[in-house]
Amino acid sequence: MTLLQPVGLLSFMALSAVLFSLGLYGALSRKSAVMVLMSLELMANAININLVAISRFSAPAELTGQIFAVFSMVVSAAEIGLGLALVIALYRQRKTVEIDSMQELKG
Amino acid sequence: MGYVAAIALLPAIAFAILVPMSNRVRNKAVPVSVAAVVISLALSLLAFAQVWPGGHGGEAVYHASVTFATLGSVDLGVGVLLDPISAVMLVVVTLVGTAVQVYSLGYMHRDARIGWYYAVLSLFTAAMLMLVLSDNFLQLYMAWEVMGLCSYLLIGFWHEQVAPRKASLKAFLTTRVGDVGFALGLAVMYKTAGSFDFQVVLHDFAWAPAAATTVSLLLLFGAMGKSAQVPLHVWLPDAMAGPTPASALIHAATMVAAGVFLVARALPIFEVSGVALTVTMIVGVTTALVGGLLAAVQHDIKKVLAYSTISQLGYMFVALGAGGLVAGMYHLVTHAFFKSLLFLGAGVIIHAAHTQDMREMGGLAKKMPVTTVTFTIGSLALAGVFPFSGFWSKDEILTILWHEGHYVVFALALAAAFVTAVYVARLWFRVFTGPTQSAELKEAHVEMLIPMGVLAAISAFIGFGSPYFAQFLGHEGEWPAAAIALTSMSVAGIGLALGWWVYGRRTKVINTRPFKQRAGFVYDALTLKLYFDLTYDYFIVRGYGRLAEMLSGFDRVVVDGIVNGAGAVWRSGTEVGSLIDTYVIDGAVNGTASLIKAAGAKVRRIETGHIQAYQGLMVAALVLLMLWFVVKGA
Amino acid sequence: MLLSAIVLLPLAGAVVSALVPKDRGDIARWIAAVVTAVDLALVVFVALRFDVGAGMQFVENVAWVPQFGISYHLGVDGISITMLALSALLSLVAVVASWNMKTKPAAYFAMLLLLEVGMNGVFLALDFVLFYVFWELVLVPMYFLIGTWGGPRKEYASIKFFLYTLFGSVFMLIGIIALYLQTGTFDMTAMVGAGLSESFQWWVFAAFFLGFAVKVPIFPLHTWLPDAHVEAPTAASVLLAGILLKMGTYGFIRIALPILPHAANQWAPFITALAAISIVYGAALAFAQTDLKKLVAYSSVSHMGFVMLGIASGTVEGLNGAIAVMFSHGVVTGLLFLIVGMVYERTHTRMIQDVSGLSNQVPVAGGLLAFASFASLGLPGLSGFVGEFLTLLGAWKSDVPAVWVVIAAIGVLLAAAYTLSMVQRVILGTPSPIVSKITDLTVREVSLLVPLVVLTLVVGLYWNSLLRFTDPAVARIVELLAGA
Repeated sequence: MTLLQPVGLLSFMALSAVLFSLGLYGALSRKSAVMVLMSLELMANAININLVAISRFSAPAELTGQIFAVFSMVVSAAEIGLGLALVIALYRQRKTVEIDSMQELKG
Repeated sequence: MGYVAAIALLPAIAFAILVPMSNRVRNKAVPVSVAAVVISLALSLLAFAQVWPGGHGGEAVYHASVTFATLGSVDLGVGVLLDPISAVMLVVVTLVGTAVQVYSLGYMHRDARIGWYYAVLSLFTAAMLMLVLSDNFLQLYMAWEVMGLCSYLLIGFWHEQVAPRKASLKAFLTTRVGDVGFALGLAVMYKTAGSFDFQVVLHDFAWAPAAATTVSLLLLFGAMGKSAQVPLHVWLPDAMAGPTPASALIHAATMVAAGVFLVARALPIFEVSGVALTVTMIVGVTTALVGGLLAAVQHDIKKVLAYSTISQLGYMFVALGAGGLVAGMYHLVTHAFFKSLLFLGAGVIIHAAHTQDMREMGGLAKKMPVTTVTFTIGSLALAGVFPFSGFWSKDEILTILWHEGHYVVFALALAAAFVTAVYVARLWFRVFTGPTQSAELKEAHVEMLIPMGVLAAISAFIGFGSPYFAQFLGHEGEWPAAAIALTSMSVAGIGLALGWWVYGRRTKVINTRPFKQRAGFVYDALTLKLYFDLTYDYFIVRGYGRLAEMLSGFDRVVVDGIVNGAGAVWRSGTEVGSLIDTYVIDGAVNGTASLIKAAGAKVRRIETGHIQAYQGLMVAALVLLMLWFVVKGA
Repeated sequence: MLLSAIVLLPLAGAVVSALVPKDRGDIARWIAAVVTAVDLALVVFVALRFDVGAGMQFVENVAWVPQFGISYHLGVDGISITMLALSALLSLVAVVASWNMKTKPAAYFAMLLLLEVGMNGVFLALDFVLFYVFWELVLVPMYFLIGTWGGPRKEYASIKFFLYTLFGSVFMLIGIIALYLQTGTFDMTAMVGAGLSESFQWWVFAAFFLGFAVKVPIFPLHTWLPDAHVEAPTAASVLLAGILLKMGTYGFIRIALPILPHAANQWAPFITALAAISIVYGAALAFAQTDLKKLVAYSSVSHMGFVMLGIASGTVEGLNGAIAVMFSHGVVTGLLFLIVGMVYERTHTRMIQDVSGLSNQVPVAGGLLAFASFASLGLPGLSGFVGEFLTLLGAWKSDVPAVWVVIAAIGVLLAAAYTLSMVQRVILGTPSPIVSKITDLTVREVSLLVPLVVLTLVVGLYWNSLLRFTDPAVARIVELLAGA
C-alpha cells in the first residue's frame, strides 16, 4: 500500500457521502431559509460528484454521467434562483426568513 | 281578350296600393279605388258586348288558365272563363260596385277610416269578379272565402261598438259552417272526378247519381251559408250593422248571390242527382216564406230589407231547384239592381231621419222627391208589379214551377210573393206617408242620388229584356204567359192593397196592437225570429263555450294529471329510494367516512407545519427504507 | 361541403359567442346575426341550385364508425330543403327578435346558435346515429332557453319539456337499434325497401310513433307544449313552434313512411283518428284560453293535427299538404308569437281581457296580428289554406274512415271560432287602459315581420313556390306506400 496509490471510486463516494450528510444536517437544522437553500445545494453537488465518479469508473468512454451532471447543475442553478426569489418574496411579506415562523401547513 | 283578367285584377291592385298606406294618406287615396272599379265596369261592358250577339249558345267565348299548383299528375289552375253567365255577372258586379263606390263618396265622407272602407270594397270587388270569372271550383271557393273576409271586415267596420263586432263574428262563423260543407264537397268532387275544372266536372265526367247527390248536397250546403238560406240565414239580418252601402253591395246584390251562382254553375251535377234539385227547391221555398214572414214584423228598415233579401234568394233557389237556370239567374240580376237600389235609398233615409226604426219615420215623400221616386221604383220591382223588373223574373220562376208540375211549391211561392207585397207596402207607407216626425229632412248629396237614379232606371226597364236574356244564356226565350202573369200580378196587388189597408189608410201612425194580439203565438214567434237565433245561441254558441271550458278542465286535470301523477308516483318512488339511500347506502358511506375522520384526528398531530419536521420525517423514513434493503440484501 | 357548412357554421358561431366576455352582449348578438344570416344565404344558395326532379342532392357520405355501419351522411331532397329553409330563416328571425336581450346575452345567443346546429342537422342527416345526435342536441339549448330565460314557471316547464321529449326519444332509440340489428346499417337511404317483415315493421313503427308523436305533439301527448310555450322567451317560442314540432312530423315523413311503408298503411286509421281528435281538441282548448300565448300554443296542437292527417292519408295531396302546413305553420305561428311578444313587451300582459283595441291604438301591430290570425285560420290566398285544404283533400281521397275527415273539416270552422274571438277581443274595440299607453312597432320590429308576411302571401297565392320542391319527393314516398 503506497501513498500515491490512485484514487479509487470508493474515495469519491466517501467524499460525496460526507458532503451529502453535511447538507442534510444543514437543511434539517438551520433556522434561516437562506442557509437551508445553501445546504440543499450542497446535497445536490454531492450527487453530482457521485454521477461523474461512477461514470468515470464504469463506462469512461461514454461521458454519460458527466453530461448528466452538467444538466443537473443547470437545473439546480435554476432551482436556487427560484428558491431565492421565493425567499425574497417571503421576506417582503413577513420581514423574516426564519423557517420556524412558517407553519401554514399545520393540520 | 286578355283584358278580361284585368277586370278582376284592377280592384285587387287598388287594394294592394291602399293597404300599406297610413290611415291619413289612405283617406285621401280613395279615388284609386273608384277609378279601378270604373275601369273594370268599362271593360266588363266591353266583354259583355263581345259575348252579346246570340251569346254563342251558352258556350265559353274566352278561356285562359295558368297553373298555380302541381300535385302528382294533377295541375290546379287559376283561370278566366268568359261565357254568357260570367259576362252578365261581370256587368252586374261592376255596375252595382261602381254605384256603391260613388254613393259611398257621399255617404261615408265624414268617416275617419274611409280609406280602409274603400280598400276592403276593392278587395271585395276583386274577389267577386274572380269568383264569377273562375273556370274551376277551387278558384271559386278561394274567392268565396276572401269575400267572406271582406264581409267580415265591413260588417265590423265600426268595431268600436259592440253590435257590429258581434255581427261580424256571427256572419263569418255562420257562413263558414256552410263552407265546411263546400270544402268537403270539393274533396268528394276531387276524389270522384279527379279535377275541379268546370270542363271536366260539368261536361266530360260521367257522374254516378249517388256521387252526384253527395257532391251537390255538400255544395248546396255551402251555398246556403253564403246565400243565407234557412237554417243558416241568421247572420244576414245582423250583418246590417255594417255601413249601408256595403250592405247594398255585399249583403244584397253580389256576395249573397254567390251561392245562387255556385248552384247555377254546378247545375249539371244537381240534375244528374235529382234528389239535390228537390232539396234545393225545398230549401228555397222554405227560405222564401220564412224570410218574407220575418220581414213583415221587423221595425228596423234595414232588417226588413235584409229578410227580404233572404226571401228573394230563396226564390232563386226555388228556380234553380226546378231546373230553371235562366229564371234563377235572371232573378239574381234583377234583384241585384232593385235591392241595391233599395239599400242605397234606405241609406239616404237613415241619414235624413237619424234613425233606422220605421216607427219613428214618416212623411218623407214631401221632403225628398228623388229618393221617394227611386225607392218607389225599387219597391214595386220587389213586389213584382208590372212593368218593373221584379215582375218579369218572378214571373219566369212561377212559370217554370207550373210547367214542371211543382204545384205545391208554386202555391207556396205565390204565398211568398203575397207576403212580399204586404211588407213592401208596410215599409213604403210607414216611411213615406203619414206625419213627418223629423224636422230637418233634406235630400241627399248628388253623388248619392245619381247612382240611385241609374239603378232605378235599370230596375224600371230591364224587365223587357227578359226573353233576350234567356237567348243570351243559350235557352229558348219566351214572353210571359198571360195566365200566370195575371195571377202573380193580382197576388201582388192584393198584398199591396192589404198593406195599404193596414198601414197606409190613416194619416196618423196607427195602432196594430189588437191585430198583433189576435195573432198571439204566431206573432211572438215571428218577432223572436222563429227561435233560430235563440236556439243557436243556447245550444251551439254557449254549448261550445261550455264544452271548451270542460275540455280545458279535462286537459288540466286528466291528461296533464296523468303526466303529473306519473311524475308524483316517480317522486314518491324516489322517496322510498331515498330512505334506503339514507340508512343503507349513506350509512355505509358515512361509517367509512367517520372512521377515516377519527384516524385523521390522530394522525394530524404530526402535521406541525414546520417544513424541517417534515424533512426530518422524510429522512427518517428513507433511512428506515435503506436499512430494510440492507437487512433484506443480507 | 355545403351542407356541412350549413350545419357546422352555427356551431362555430356558438363557440365564439360563448367565449365573448359577459359584458359584451352586443358582440355576441352581432356574431349570432351574421352567422345565421350567412347560414340562410347558404341555404338559399342550395335552394337555387337545387334540381327539383332529382332525389337526394349535395350528398356527403363519409364513413364514421365503419365497424358499426355508421357514417357521416348528409343530403337534401325536396322535403328537407323546405324545412331547412324554414329553420335557417326562423333562426335569423329569432336572433333579431332577441336583439335587446339583457340577461346573459352571450350565453343566450350561443344557445340559439347551438339550437340551429341541431335543427339543421336533423333535417339534413341521413344516418340514424347522426340523426339521433342532432335530435338530442336540440333538447339541450331549448332546455336552457326555457329554464334560464323563461317566465315564472320556467323550471317546471323546462323539466316537463325535457322529460317528455326524452321519453319519446328513448323509444325512438329502441326503434333505431332494432332497425340496425335487422339491417346491419344505420344508413336511412339504405334501409328504404329493405324488405322488412310486416310484424317487425309494426313494432318498429310503434316505437317511432311514440318518439315522434311526443314531439309533434299529438293528443294526448301534448300537455308539455302549452307550458313550454307560455314560459319560453319569444324567440324560443318561435323556434319551438316553428321548427321543433316539425321535427316530429319530419321524422314520420323521412323515416317512418319510407322505411316502414307497410306498417304506415296499417297505422293510418289510428293516426287519422288521433289527428282528427287533435284538430278539434286543440281548437276547442284554444277557444277556452285567456292567455294569448296559450291560445297560440293550443292552436299549434290543432294545426299539427292537420299535418298528421295528411301524413296518415299517404296520398300525394295529403303529404304535400302536410309539408305545406308544416311550412306555413312555422311562418304564421312565428308571426303570431313575435307580435304577441312585441305586444307583451309593451303591455307586460298576455291576458286577453287586458288587451283590446290594438287596431286603433297601434294599427301596424294590430293589422299584422289580424293578418297572421287570418293566415292561421286558413284564409285562401294565404299560406295556411294551402296545406289545410290539401290535407283534407288527401285524407278524403285515401281509405281512412270518412268520419274522421269530416271531424277534421269541422276543425276548420273551430279554427275560425277561436281565432276570430281573439281578434274580436284583442284587436277590435276601443283600446283598453293598458293598450292606450303603448306605442306602435319600431322599424326593426316591422322589418322582422315583413319577410314572414311576404312568404305567407307568396306561398298562399302561388302554391307551386312550395309544391315544386315537395311534389317530386312526395311522389317517391307515395310510390313506396302504394307498393307495400
